[in-house]
Amino acid sequence: MADETTHLPTHMPIENRPRNISRSVNDHTSRLDGVAKVTGRAAYTRDRYLDNQLFAGFIRCPWGQARLESFDRERALEVDGVVEVELQGRSGEYHGDIVGHIVAESKPALRRAMNALGATWRRRPSLTRLEDDMDDPPDVNAATRDLLSEAEHVFEATYTTPVQTHACLETHVLVVDHDGERATVYASTQGTSVVNEQVAEPLDLPQSKYEVVCEYVGGGFGSKFPIGREGQLAASIAAKYKRPVMCDLDRAEEHLDTGNRPSSRSTVRIGVNEDGTILGGRIHTWGGTGVVQRGGGVRFPSGRFDFGEIQKSHHDVSFNGGAPRPMRAPGHPQGAFAEELMVDEIAELVGVDPVEYRKRLDTSDARREMYDLGAELIGWNQREATGEQRRAIRRGFGVGSTTWGPNRSNAECEVVIHQDGSVEARTGTQDIGTGQKTIMGVLAAEHLGVPLRNVEVRIGRSTLPAGPPSGGSVTAPGTSPAMIDAAHDARRQLLDAIAEQEDLNADDLRLEGGNVYRGDERILEWSRAVRRMRNDRITGRGRSTGRDDPHWGEGHSDGVQFVSLSVDVETGMIRVDKVIAIQSCGRVVARKTAESQIIGGVIQGLSFALYEEKLLDRWTGAMVNPDLEMYKILGSRDMPHIVPVLWDKGQSGVRSLGEPPVIPTAGAVAGAVFNALGRPVRDLPLTPDKVLAALDSQGGDA
Amino acid sequence: MSFAIARPTSHEHAARLLADGSYRLPVLKAGGMDVVDHLKENLIDPDLLVDVQPLRPDEPGGAIHHIETENGGRVVFDASTTMTELAESEVVREHCPVVGQSVADAATPQVRNVATAAGNLLQRPRCWYYRRKQFDCLKKGGSTCYAVEGENRYHAIFGDGPCYIVHPSNLAPALNVSDGVVHWVNRDGESHRTPSRDLFHSPREDVESEHTLPNDAVITRIEVADRPASGFYAVKEKQSFDWPLVFACVQLDLDGDRIESADVWAGAVAPVPWPLPDVAEALRGVRITDAGAVREACANAIRDARPMRDNGYKVKLLPVAIRRAIRRASGRPAHDLFDGEE
Ligand SMILES: Cc1cc2nc3c(=O)[nH]c(=O)nc-3n(C[C@H](O)[C@H](O)[C@H](O)COP(=O)(O)OP(=O)(O)OC[C@H]3O[C@@H](n4cnc5c(N)ncnc54)[C@H](O)[C@@H]3O)c2cc1C
Ligand code: SF4
Repeated sequence: MADETTHLPTHMPIENRPRNISRSVNDHTSRLDGVAKVTGRAAYTRDRYLDNQLFAGFIRCPWGQARLESFDRERALEVDGVVEVELQGRSGEYHGDIVGHIVAESKPALRRAMNALGATWRRRPSLTRLEDDMDDPPDVNAATRDLLSEAEHVFEATYTTPVQTHACLETHVLVVDHDGERATVYASTQGTSVVNEQVAEPLDLPQSKYEVVCEYVGGGFGSKFPIGREGQLAASIAAKYKRPVMCDLDRAEEHLDTGNRPSSRSTVRIGVNEDGTILGGRIHTWGGTGVVQRGGGVRFPSGRFDFGEIQKSHHDVSFNGGAPRPMRAPGHPQGAFAEELMVDEIAELVGVDPVEYRKRLDTSDARREMYDLGAELIGWNQREATGEQRRAIRRGFGVGSTTWGPNRSNAECEVVIHQDGSVEARTGTQDIGTGQKTIMGVLAAEHLGVPLRNVEVRIGRSTLPAGPPSGGSVTAPGTSPAMIDAAHDARRQLLDAIAEQEDLNADDLRLEGGNVYRGDERILEWSRAVRRMRNDRITGRGRSTGRDDPHWGEGHSDGVQFVSLSVDVETGMIRVDKVIAIQSCGRVVARKTAESQIIGGVIQGLSFALYEEKLLDRWTGAMVNPDLEMYKILGSRDMPHIVPVLWDKGQSGVRSLGEPPVIPTAGAVAGAVFNALGRPVRDLPLTPDKVLAALDSQGGDA
Repeated sequence: MSFAIARPTSHEHAARLLADGSYRLPVLKAGGMDVVDHLKENLIDPDLLVDVQPLRPDEPGGAIHHIETENGGRVVFDASTTMTELAESEVVREHCPVVGQSVADAATPQVRNVATAAGNLLQRPRCWYYRRKQFDCLKKGGSTCYAVEGENRYHAIFGDGPCYIVHPSNLAPALNVSDGVVHWVNRDGESHRTPSRDLFHSPREDVESEHTLPNDAVITRIEVADRPASGFYAVKEKQSFDWPLVFACVQLDLDGDRIESADVWAGAVAPVPWPLPDVAEALRGVRITDAGAVREACANAIRDARPMRDNGYKVKLLPVAIRRAIRRASGRPAHDLFDGEE
């Protein structure tokens, strides 16, 4: 039913919309739960206030490294409504490190008890950044040394990115509704199935006696797979007292202790010839991984460009900060920032246009085509040579690239047709804000052959057919084939029943728009068709393991982004004017939610480029900006005009879309700033102080 | 962590409640933007909130008036006038544009819709050490200023400590270039007037407070003189939900395009609104169209600046903010730099 409607971003005036690149199944469907979400009708996990509920909260270390010297447990226990006060440890290794917990009958009581505890800490010196404790890179090996000595230029640079936090709008939370025998577990999670598995032990119930429910999630970005300490605590307290419990983190805790995108440092020595040929060289990266020494990998080189023979090495460096968790395209944006800016700097060194240079270095034919389209849409021909402008407000153009997948996952789906004609599309996976619920409905409706309004989508429950956790951008690609199979199965069963009763051949029948046709003749409308089923319902089942499924399809999720911006060189202020985001994602199931994923990725990428930084006080190790005021995130007036362009040439099936659009943005912004200033700013975020410092280092030529 | 809420019937009544010895810590609340932040961050523990917000007139903008006087007019507005009302007021725009401009882009529309003029003046600093409970810094009665050795990118470049906050109010320096006067009452029902320039004291005098009013003072209204050639400019990292890195308020007496006299104050650079008399002096006689001369005069702003480790950039920004405020004061856009030479 894929129609040929042109692919137009809805927020743009018609005349500005880019030309049609992709055909989508459904151009007009809005998010099915959009109204519920914006009106507050959608009940998130944090909204689950229950009768007789207990509230649990953590006692945390307030400094980078400290020992608990004194506290008054008795006084805390005396606070009205306090149920328990437990101290498990006496020392904290980072700001936010957990040393105990308090349980109380109400949130105010919990807070009073925290104050009454009167914990005092002895602070110890702490390491606050990866630079405080990093080793030198390993020596350049003989082959690389030879290669560098042969090269006509050796390009050297170091790039850094700060710790970025997930900053979920809905902070981490778990609510258990325990009635003494059974429980309902309300989770704000990217993995309903993960919670289902992990909560069993602390909840001390057989899996048959509880259900995990995750209907709405206020953002996860990779930080909400495991049940976390808050989940462990809520479940074990519920088990202990056989009562409902909520454990929710506040805004500061969300920044401190729910994971992050680790900081990075990349240093390069690259051999280049005058004609632009990159012979190879050495790339060493460090990841700043807080108290754990893992998870800091930097995807540089990404493999998207041909850099010759690269000697790559990486060190994870620990310091007194919270541990990382996967964050939207883990390791990629920090790598792409360094890589794209490096490509621009080398292009400038050898005097080649950055787009032309990428078309030479890039390993993907699809992206080569995308570069041309993007350059046209952004107006690349207006780009002035790097460093040539003398105006106080200078324009810059930049470009970045991305690729993803395809990654597979397992999923089971059901399409249930009830006798009254209503239809359910069911799968246990969750919608973390991506539009997963919407596309499940669209696919079920289309492949069954009924209008979308007949379909009720039920997701986010452990009692529904097993769906995947939302990570690696596999949810839509993994569930779509299964939902298609389930719809086909349900349709087949219904048509078989009709054929049998009407004495027809099922192969001659088809279902479209809710009506049953034989050839061009409409023989039954929906309300009568469903009466022909033998039982009260028909359940169609679909199951996919990814690649083996006929609906899996093929192709990568490739993309390029183009940025135009202006830099006020008197103030160092960067204003991003426009972003063109071309992204392939295979078959577009619902255009609006697909575009929204791209726009959201770009926003997060811009915010990473310009503002975000988890800042630990170098003296005390405490995070000084654990809020959404001084931890700065792009706001409405900082939004450029973002133009998503969906591209499905050379692909089939539903491809990954969640993560790839966040990858190229920061690199494209940095390249555009380099173009405007003639000087690179190699450290994120690109704040006015750094822009001004870069201009200063320009000496007399500004 | 529990408090009563009082709804006084008048400002005098509010002042009496603030002085009522039966309460441990009565706190006045207007829009509540800053008071509620303090409650949420566990920084204050009042047992009474005196809510003066209901005392405001119902009609939006209803409390802003222009009064003709012998020596020029004055704009008078209630303490409870919101930032939005000031920003949107025709009266303010015509007679004292710097006041409206100073609050027009501050914070967010949601904040501006509830935040009041008096609350804006008396809001507490945003220093991140002040705002986090675990830091027992000087301002909270402790013995150290954490900003000196710590993270000071947003701190002061003027003033000799011992506390290095930047004064948070956009409105205060705007009042200062407009001969602003703050009217207040106390527990005895006495009316007082304090020139806005005398409203704040240096941390050397008392590090734990910023303003000079007594504890039972309740601001009733604010007035400013006609300053039609006045303007404001802020440099901000972000345009939404953020604070200025530096800002400037300027008022000019013009004879054609020649500056007869000027008054220049800076914000976000010192623990108090920061006067720049040297710049004002140097601007005397300068033609506003003479970019070179204006630039030279504004360069005086940073002569005495003493940046900390991470805020040297503010020294570069300050003269730019003043130049742009001068342009706005003379009725031009803040800059026309898209084509001009640097
Ligand atoms: C994200 C963000 C960005 C911001 N950016 C800016 C900015 O750029 N510039 C800026 O200036 N502000 C900014 N603000 C601060 C905001 O403007 C102030 O918090 C607000 O103006 C306070 O006004 P209020 O009426 O809510 O005060 P309240 O919180 O009610 O009171 C603040 C203080 O004033 C006292 N007070 C209030 N009314 C009276 C009175 N009538 N008499 C005596 N004392 C009184 C109170 O006791 C209290 O101590 C920002 C705030 C946020 C959240
Ligand atoms: S600047 Fe002032 S408020 Fe901030 S830490 Fe220092 S003394 Fe405290």
